[in-house]
Amino acid sequence: MQSPSRKFNVLLAFVAVVVTTVVPARAQDWFKTETSTGVDKIRIAAADFKQGSGDSAALKRTFDSVLYADLSNAGIFDLVSKSLLPQATPGAPSEMNVQQWSPAPVSAAMVAFGSATVQSGKLVVNGWLFDTKNVQYPQVLAKQYSEDATDDSARQIAHRFADEIIFRLGGGIPGIAETKIVYVHQAGGSKEIWMMDYDGANQHQITHLGTVSLSPRISPDGTRIAFSSLGKDGWGIRMYSLVLGRLVNFPSFGGTNLSPAWASTGNSLAFSSSRTGDPEIWETDANGNGAHRLTSFRGPDVSPVWNPRTNAQIAWISGRSGLPQVYIMDADGAGVTRLTDIGYATSPSWSPNGQFLTFAWNRKYGPGAPGGQDIYVQEVAPGAGGSYRWVQVTHDSGRCDFPSWSPDGRHIVYASTASGKMEIWSMLADGTQKRRLTTNGGNDMPNWSWK
Amino acid sequence: MPNDHTWTEPDPLGGNFAGSAIVHALVLGGVVAAGFLVHRGSSWGAATAQAGAIQATMVTAIPLPATQRFDKDQVLTSDAPSPAPKEPTPQTIAPPKPDEVPIPVKQPPKPPKVAQQETPAPPKHPQPIQPPKPNVAQTGETSGIRIQQSTMQVTNGTASVAVQDSAFGARYAYYVNVVNRTVAQNWFTREADPVTSVGRSVTIIFDILRDGTPSNVRMGQRSGSPSLDASALHALERVDGFGPLPAGDHITVEYTFHYQPH
Repeated sequence: MQSPSRKFNVLLAFVAVVVTTVVPARAQDWFKTETSTGVDKIRIAAADFKQGSGDSAALKRTFDSVLYADLSNAGIFDLVSKSLLPQATPGAPSEMNVQQWSPAPVSAAMVAFGSATVQSGKLVVNGWLFDTKNVQYPQVLAKQYSEDATDDSARQIAHRFADEIIFRLGGGIPGIAETKIVYVHQAGGSKEIWMMDYDGANQHQITHLGTVSLSPRISPDGTRIAFSSLGKDGWGIRMYSLVLGRLVNFPSFGGTNLSPAWASTGNSLAFSSSRTGDPEIWETDANGNGAHRLTSFRGPDVSPVWNPRTNAQIAWISGRSGLPQVYIMDADGAGVTRLTDIGYATSPSWSPNGQFLTFAWNRKYGPGAPGGQDIYVQEVAPGAGGSYRWVQVTHDSGRCDFPSWSPDGRHIVYASTASGKMEIWSMLADGTQKRRLTTNGGNDMPNWSWK
Repeated sequence: MPNDHTWTEPDPLGGNFAGSAIVHALVLGGVVAAGFLVHRGSSWGAATAQAGAIQATMVTAIPLPATQRFDKDQVLTSDAPSPAPKEPTPQTIAPPKPDEVPIPVKQPPKPPKVAQQETPAPPKHPQPIQPPKPNVAQTGETSGIRIQQSTMQVTNGTASVAVQDSAFGARYAYYVNVVNRTVAQNWFTREADPVTSVGRSVTIIFDILRDGTPSNVRMGQRSGSPSLDASALHALERVDGFGPLPAGDHITVEYTFHYQPH
């Protein structure tokens, strides 16, 4: 009698293992296919621009490579490899023969081309975007730029032209080629706020406080950076004006004040403050006035983030039930809902369209659990049956933390130890096209600007 | 009867027998005599001194070839090795005087070679004579009639967009494509019940305003599957915008979705 029942138990355990492993995998697959319903990406070719004068060679090279990188990073294009492009480099619509670009192997649906010249100290770039399928009216876009003839302005012109193309072909969502990323860089014993372009270029230091500054958040209009910093009164919220180039006044509240977050209107700031003894979420206006408390429950409450679409909800991390979990509530503190069920979840970021949250999650946290901290994307609204669908977007790439959405909702920037050192990485929101943006180590807590 | 004579007459065999015996005796005697005459005196295995035994003679020295002639100057053939050559004493070479080595004078660049006269253009190959074009239009010669429609295959069917303003559709075909792509990306076909929806088509009509936002969404042709109709409307609800219109105040778009999983 004992042997058959033991066999049955083994069978039962096996079935249980299969069910528990297969069902979540299918759920994830479902989620993923629904966010990409089989629509092909637009195949676009970025021709080398025609060089108008001899001294524009280096600038043109910068322009070509930046434009190519911007279009390939956009996430909505299937970019034609440079080696497949036709020999001719058209510099004007009259030199453009779309018949060369539409057949295989180029098979481009769109071609970006133009010319770059230096005229009396100015870099003049003429750019066009042609639709190769439309022989009668091929022109989609024509732009002219004139800037100082420097490498940096060549880079900026390429970013702007790429953004125009992405805006036209990407369904009206502005591109991110001109956006910035603020982050924390550790040098010696101090951590300062740094800033760079979205592609990792032009890294430069913002603050020189000589202390530890954390969690920078750039304001929606891009003029201020709110961050928390260790001062003589403990951890306080600081405000740095990028226009004035210095710190501006922000009241200190006492206690530990951490992780500020801007509402997308730019008029409200939410942060975690322990002035009452327990870390709770507080809200003030952009100058620190009119502070009022949103949460009142025993246990730490940190890392708030507004729903950028409506500003009617706040997601944050709460330890009221033990390990930190993601919660959302209405902006007045009502309607608290817990989103994550298990593990150790930190640092949420809300997608610009309001549909998704991304956060760092260690689903198997605890002694003896082989957990790794990875980036996850979860739907804010529960699906059928009241369960929240989520998908893991980083796998086996060290400890990943501090995800932050790009303003177009297609990218996520995060910090990871995948290369051995703490660096800033960016990827598409589905986890593909991971790229390292920094190389010198000690870079952490990125935050993507709003535009 | 000659036969009688033959059979009855006795054969005269006695003389023939005698003659045969004599001939045989003569041949035999000739053979024996020839053996005696030809091979007389010599016989095999006789004990004579000339019989073929090998004679070995012990010698005191091996007869080596004579010493070869050698030349004193030839190092390789001499018995006495030649002494090693003396190492030459290093000699210091006096450095050249400052003005000894002439500094090369930079030559002016050579003038480019210019041909005496320009290369004449290559002769033209004889061109085939083009036949005069017929007066009637032929298939494929004129550009096809443009239909302002964009169709694309997606996971669960075919999505197509038609713009009612035909001039807009021809001029801004890329925009029509963007509209189709954006709606298809936001259409979650799992919302439609596959049992009742397979093989059905739904058409929705909407306007796109100047800033690219969809408005006035309405059903054009119902599919007969309520879930498919609802999923079409939900797709439009998810779209924030298609980007500003390249021209015009607004356009009206018919969007048709044919649900056919493949």
